[in-house]
Amino acid sequence: MQENSRLMIEAREVSKFYGAFQALKNVSFSVRDGEKVVIIGPSGSGKSTILRSINRLETIDRGTIIVDGMDVSDPKVDICKVREEIGMVFQSFNLFPHKTVLENLTLAQTVVRKRNRREAEQIALELLKKVGIAEKAAAYPAKLSGGQQQRVAIARSLAMNPKAILFDEPTSALDPEMIGEVLDVMKNLAQEGMTMVVVTHEMGFAREVADRVIFMDHGQIVEEGTPEHFFTSPDHERAKLFLSQIL
Amino acid sequence: MSKNPTSHTPIDVGDGAAIPNKNDAGLFTAWRIAFFGAIFVSLYLAFGKSDPYYEIFKFVPDGILVTFKVTFGAILLATCIGLITGLGRISDNRFINGAASLYVEVIRGIPLLVQIFYIYYALGRFVKIPDMLSAIIAMAVCYGAYMGEVFRAGIQSIPKGQMEAALSLGMSRGQAMRQVILPQAFKVVLPPIGNEFIALLKDSSLVSILAVSDLLRRGREYASETFSYFETYTVIALIYLVMTLFFSKLIGIMEERLNAGK
Ligand SMILES: Nc1ncnc2c1ncn2[C@@H]1O[C@H](COP(=O)(O)OP(=O)(O)OP(=O)(O)O)[C@@H](O)[C@H]1O
Ligand SMILES: [Mg+2]
Repeated sequence: MQENSRLMIEAREVSKFYGAFQALKNVSFSVRDGEKVVIIGPSGSGKSTILRSINRLETIDRGTIIVDGMDVSDPKVDICKVREEIGMVFQSFNLFPHKTVLENLTLAQTVVRKRNRREAEQIALELLKKVGIAEKAAAYPAKLSGGQQQRVAIARSLAMNPKAILFDEPTSALDPEMIGEVLDVMKNLAQEGMTMVVVTHEMGFAREVADRVIFMDHGQIVEEGTPEHFFTSPDHERAKLFLSQIL
Repeated sequence: MSKNPTSHTPIDVGDGAAIPNKNDAGLFTAWRIAFFGAIFVSLYLAFGKSDPYYEIFKFVPDGILVTFKVTFGAILLATCIGLITGLGRISDNRFINGAASLYVEVIRGIPLLVQIFYIYYALGRFVKIPDMLSAIIAMAVCYGAYMGEVFRAGIQSIPKGQMEAALSLGMSRGQAMRQVILPQAFKVVLPPIGNEFIALLKDSSLVSILAVSDLLRRGREYASETFSYFETYTVIALIYLVMTLFFSKLIGIMEERLNAGK
């Protein structure tokens, strides 16, 4: 669909070592503006590592990653500029517990985007409405359910008007009955055209939302393709095995 | 310190008066007996026995004020030094980290009394500042090292995801530290700072060896004139006891409030 839109994220020949252990082996992939890419694979296959390399929460040892035209792998590049444009949603929410829900959304807006408080609060309230928890604006995160906390975390990253959002297993820490409400928010985002890279074990979400599925194993991209192709007739044995275990 | 592989709960014995906690019934009762006992004995000595106790109680309060000044001054300064040292100890910059670690190791390796002498006379060599200020600086330099470890542990107790979330929103490390990590770490370090405060209140008696007229020194002055050593030091001990018990209780109440506010 976005065949000719511009590249938002491009990883070339990326390798990453933890001591002698190689967590990423020559990983290359790209994400176009507006594209939704889902990364799946067994535990320890390097999904989080590649995702976290995109905004340099992990530094890579070889290769290049270009995000929105900026070279993340170049130590001289101001990484804050990249992170302003690329949101991230974590498995463990990581809301700021000493701040109210509203303050969680306004903090980076005022500190990083230099918006004034009123403007930031207005944006925050609109986003909270959008993710369906406007009534919790004054509450502290500890008072919220897991699903609500994760929706706040998504709103928090949206408040920066990111060009893309990275999700690292956003529903894995949730009770089953709360998974749906978070996935719904993400589906809405996808519909609005947000560029998304999502690590998840939610295969239903991948089928429905992904433009492309990347399957990783042992630090490598084993297979990459449309969800229809990947879920019905994957080319590789390892992908078949993984799907048979998870579905 | 190296990690303990068998991970017992560490035995945590502070060097300050224990901060009474309602859940520790024994300690709570002990606090009451000691505190009210000390006040009762003091009143009895001052008004029931009168001579020379009444005179002593009249003579030493100037010293209490000095003890307070030294203690509060030193704890404030030590907290600032401790914060800087703690941040230095977790810094990625090898030079800053090395400097902070060296400071902590050197200070921890020298007895407090020796340090106080040393810093006091070292300061006296280069700058002309009031004795009390030198004493405060000497105490603060010593306690700053311990406080540095308190801050380091406090900052490291905040989950890694907090820094990552702040960074991923585009904040710089400094912004993330100020806005996200330190406000949370302060809550963690408040109880140990309370302990340090009480330890410092007691250790402030060491400055009596300098030309600073704190509570203990006033006592010594009185005793050496009147030769009533036993009576004087009884009073001095009672006053220190009442002060430390009072502040430990106060800190306990503040902590309770803080926890209730969560
Ligand atoms: N800080 C680290 N030090 C050493 N090894 C690490 C570190 N972080 C990750 N690894 C290793 O790198 C590999 C890839 O880890 P990664 O977290 O990317 O896996 P993942 O695909 O996200 O797995 P999961 O589904 O369990 O989250 C794993 O084998 C892991 O043990
Ligand atoms: Mg992971």
